[in-house]
Amino acid sequence: MKRTGATGGRSASLLAAYGAWAVSLVVAVVFLSPLVWMVAASLREEASIFGGGWWGMDGWTLENYADAWRRAGLGRALLNSTMQVVVIGGGGLLINAMAAYAFARLEFWGREGVFAGVVVLIILPVEVLAVPLFFTARDLGLTGGHGAALAGLTVPFLAKAFNIYFLRQHFLSVPATLEEAAVMDGAGPWRLFWNVALPAVRPALATVVVLDLLAHWGDFLWPLMITTRGETRTVQLSLANLFTQPPVQWGDILACAVLATLPVMLFFRWFQRYIVATDARAGIK
Amino acid sequence: MTRWEQERGRSAGWFLTPALALLAVFVVWPLVRAGVWSFTNADLLSPERARGVGVENYTGLWEDGRFRRAFLNTWMFALLVVPAQTAGAFFLALWVNRPEREWQWLRVVFFVPVVVAMPVLAVLWTLLYQPAQGGEMGPVNAALGVFGVPPQAWLRDPALALPAIALMSVWQGVGLQMMVFLAGLQGVSKELLDAAKIDGAGAWQRVWHVVVPAMRNTIIFVVTVTTILAFRIFVQPYLMTRGGPGNSTLSLIQSVYETTFVSQDLGRACAAAMAFLVLVGGVAWVQRRVLKEERE
Repeated sequence: MKRTGATGGRSASLLAAYGAWAVSLVVAVVFLSPLVWMVAASLREEASIFGGGWWGMDGWTLENYADAWRRAGLGRALLNSTMQVVVIGGGGLLINAMAAYAFARLEFWGREGVFAGVVVLIILPVEVLAVPLFFTARDLGLTGGHGAALAGLTVPFLAKAFNIYFLRQHFLSVPATLEEAAVMDGAGPWRLFWNVALPAVRPALATVVVLDLLAHWGDFLWPLMITTRGETRTVQLSLANLFTQPPVQWGDILACAVLATLPVMLFFRWFQRYIVATDARAGIK
Repeated sequence: MTRWEQERGRSAGWFLTPALALLAVFVVWPLVRAGVWSFTNADLLSPERARGVGVENYTGLWEDGRFRRAFLNTWMFALLVVPAQTAGAFFLALWVNRPEREWQWLRVVFFVPVVVAMPVLAVLWTLLYQPAQGGEMGPVNAALGVFGVPPQAWLRDPALALPAIALMSVWQGVGLQMMVFLAGLQGVSKELLDAAKIDGAGAWQRVWHVVVPAMRNTIIFVVTVTTILAFRIFVQPYLMTRGGPGNSTLSLIQSVYETTFVSQDLGRACAAAMAFLVLVGGVAWVQRRVLKEERE
């Protein structure tokens, strides 16, 4: 009797597990279908994108990619966008980590007040500031040619109130004993910061860089405002340009969209463990 | 404080100066300028020649039909997106909350649209929503056709355009809030859930009476963040519909942008930006109030 009950229970839970798999698989396929369609349609000849006949051997082509690359000036645009996110991600990280370290570890007059002022800035959306920021950038010569435009795309976003706040929380949780050993060796503030504190908060640094890279790779409003020339366009602007300038070629637009997404997806493979790890760690506290 | 600590404190200036200087120049100063300009008749080409006009820009905002429409659209968009995205993310988090390794792929699936840039998705969904023309139709209409739904002109119908953009936005963002809920779920007491189960509570009852109260703060956080993100909508309608048809998807940000660069009325644009800031700040303030009650 007992044994029958046990096997009955096991097969029921096995059935539930298979059911969960089946439902998950169907939902996942539907959820990702727009992106799958994007890739597949980017490989279709113009006339057959919205038509039928997808199952045959005809109508497939790589030509959209060559056209998109040429028409959207994607070589230049990808380079611009890459430089933009690397400068913001790398330079911003150092600047914000330094400030965060000072707020967490160094004693100075007015520390709490200044920090509270920084925290207030977190809520400010870039959209509110975009218009006056445009004039500030113009006054400082951060618009126009290639070097100026790259500076205009990056310098205003190096310092970020949220990143300072976020990194400060992590510096606070670094045990003081870790620093004491280095102090015995006569390390100054800079060496404590660089050799002890920074390595101790590596996962938080990775999180900040990932968020910055993702956010700025997709930047639209600000580049739209300050890049006036073709050669300073970012990837997203090139895509928007291809999308709105006649002749409208759906295949080219989709190929351009795929090429604008590919770098992020390759990067995603590397950083997804940080996302998964974040919520795994959250349970331990 | 030891002598050594005081010495260390003196180096704080070097650590702080780069970040604080940049924040002052590129955040605080533009904010102050926007605030000042919002009370003047500044125009795009020569803002330095502005004259004060009092609160005229602010009182004029509401009489401006385009701004009023943009304001209402932005609220409507938030009303469509926030409940759907919050509830969707919550149930997705419950569903993907499976610690086993072989289930990790599922949470990654829902996160994928979050990492794709919004302009890319806006362009993609414009094609997905293509109306039927001749023998051709977009995949959304084709898929609905299988279930007997007649093809719609999604982005060209004033009644459908905003909901269509909202649907696409929920699809894009739901994975992010799912991750936040997933982190919150790890803090729900397993003992409490087991106890409820032993007492004979069904799955729904456990969610409603145990999980939801335990995740109150996470839910408030997600609603706040989603609301603020929804208010900031710009890219989707700008690329998908240009704010049309008939201003039915015009966003607040687009109206600020056009007041600046098309009407060149900088004073009015800054007033609109300040109104937007009050809106966003108000949401954050409400969140703080609600969370404070929780602590007391």
